Amino acid sequence: MIQIAIVGAGPSGCYLAQALLKAVPGAHIDILDRLPVPFGLVRYGVAPDHQGTKAVARQFARLFEKQGVGFIGNVTLGQEGEGGTLSLSELQSAYDVVVLALGLPKDRALPLPGAALPGVIGAGQLTRHWNDHPDDSASLPDLGRRVVIVGQGNVAIDVLRILAKRAEHFDGSDLAHRHSDHIAAAGIESIDILGRSPAHEAKFDPVMVKELAKLPHMGFAFEGLAHSGAASQDDARLEALANLPAAADHDIRVTFHFGATPTRLTGTDRVSAAQFDCDGAELSLPCDTVVSAIGFETHVPGLRDDLLAGAEDAALGVLRPGLYAAGWFARGPRGTIPENRQAAQALAARIAQDLGTLPKTSKTGAAALAARLSGLTDYAGWQRIDAAELAACDAGRVRAKVADLTDMLTLAAGRAQDHPETET
Amino acid sequence: MKIALLYGTETGTTEMLCEDLEGHLGGDHEVEMADLGDTDPTSLDGDSLHLILCSTYGDGELPATAQPFAQALIDAGADLSGIRFAIFGLGDSTYETFNEGSQKLAELLVKHGAKQVGDRTTYDAMSGDMPEDSAFPWAEERIAEAEPLFAAS
Repeated sequence: MIQIAIVGAGPSGCYLAQALLKAVPGAHIDILDRLPVPFGLVRYGVAPDHQGTKAVARQFARLFEKQGVGFIGNVTLGQEGEGGTLSLSELQSAYDVVVLALGLPKDRALPLPGAALPGVIGAGQLTRHWNDHPDDSASLPDLGRRVVIVGQGNVAIDVLRILAKRAEHFDGSDLAHRHSDHIAAAGIESIDILGRSPAHEAKFDPVMVKELAKLPHMGFAFEGLAHSGAASQDDARLEALANLPAAADHDIRVTFHFGATPTRLTGTDRVSAAQFDCDGAELSLPCDTVVSAIGFETHVPGLRDDLLAGAEDAALGVLRPGLYAAGWFARGPRGTIPENRQAAQALAARIAQDLGTLPKTSKTGAAALAARLSGLTDYAGWQRIDAAELAACDAGRVRAKVADLTDMLTLAAGRAQDHPETET
Repeated sequence: MKIALLYGTETGTTEMLCEDLEGHLGGDHEVEMADLGDTDPTSLDGDSLHLILCSTYGDGELPATAQPFAQALIDAGADLSGIRFAIFGLGDSTYETFNEGSQKLAELLVKHGAKQVGDRTTYDAMSGDMPEDSAFPWAEERIAEAEPLFAAS
């Protein structure tokens, strides 16, 4: 039987598994993940108040529940000989086909003086924090009352919306009460959101801005709209912005700045101002927190750079015979979840074609991993975590996530555990 | 009864729902399932009830696989006056363009002469309900409504 391993149980890995079930019938597919829980970005990157988007996980659950795909959790891809990790060559000796769908989880840092000051935080890290990712759940960021967001893509708008929402707006989300209480306690008064582009070329989707208009305690102001001129009268982005309520005596004032290039961050113990270049004039915004939302990069630079440098077809995700890459790990941080579905179908077709030319082997897949590594978890383990999260759910929330990796592993193994966060 | 199950999908949820519906109806009816993206609007079959499932994407737009179908329909100026359809929409009420994709597709089909059976039913991904819990009854009700229409023709 052909053994296929996909590393990364996020949307790209799951879409690829779906496509491979059709393209390579009869193959066995395992999806591996560093965490004992599947779904990657859907669980940890999509905003907690966008449960409709998170519902795509139901579709992916079917892979494991009905379609015979294996889930192997708590396995980290690492360097050759690194303790507790699995090297790429070991993985390839266990599977005929290996696909890396590791995503790009690391925030691209602001390339500015002062970017390392306390109070400067990446949007991905903040979103993982709110989503209770075990890497980022513990430290509550000190927000303050004046927030500057650098970047104007959909991730930036997610951060803006969550910071601006009041406690009651999180009903139906899975944002833990400790997060909504923390946001409320900050008493945020102003949020400035800045991008280099003119408004009609900003990276947000209009629908994301329209959603902001539903929050009546927010008022909006705009700087740099002139960059769009009169040439874009029918532009959907400008229209969405124009329909936002103007800032008056609202509780939170949000200012969009277009054509603003960040130049430096200043402060002594902590960031206290962010400077921008606006058409040659310096804009200095006093602030308590700076959130950078300017894109993502790999957490394994050596591995990804080397593989892509030698790739046969990097855009499609063909690295070398038997080794492929999917999703953002292959193509870079562009494109929505469904765009990765289409890319997965193209890659699956190519893998099916390549399999016709690979030599026949008798690789043992999961059995080889189990012999090599201890502490692996499975889908039943995730279902135990899932059940505990649903059972522990508070009023107004759809689940209470387990945020601690040790607790997750205890639950996954089916052992009794007594962590207060997961008790009803 | 002959049923043509058609879906327009962006994230794959609507395709999955359509597969479930095919399994649900297949024992009692002659069911054929297809992606709208692989469907030629001029070749729809007047002897079948078309059950269409369609999501919404972006700013109230048609999902990826419904777009080429809609464009082909417009380009061909197809006459669908012999075609009967019922439509089920999937959307997310977080957005004010909730379920506009299925609404746009229904309007387009009617504009080209197709006859709609019953009202459009919509599903909200934010509701926490499972889509099949409303899609299965929807399909059964529309089939019951359509049966006399096909028997008479």
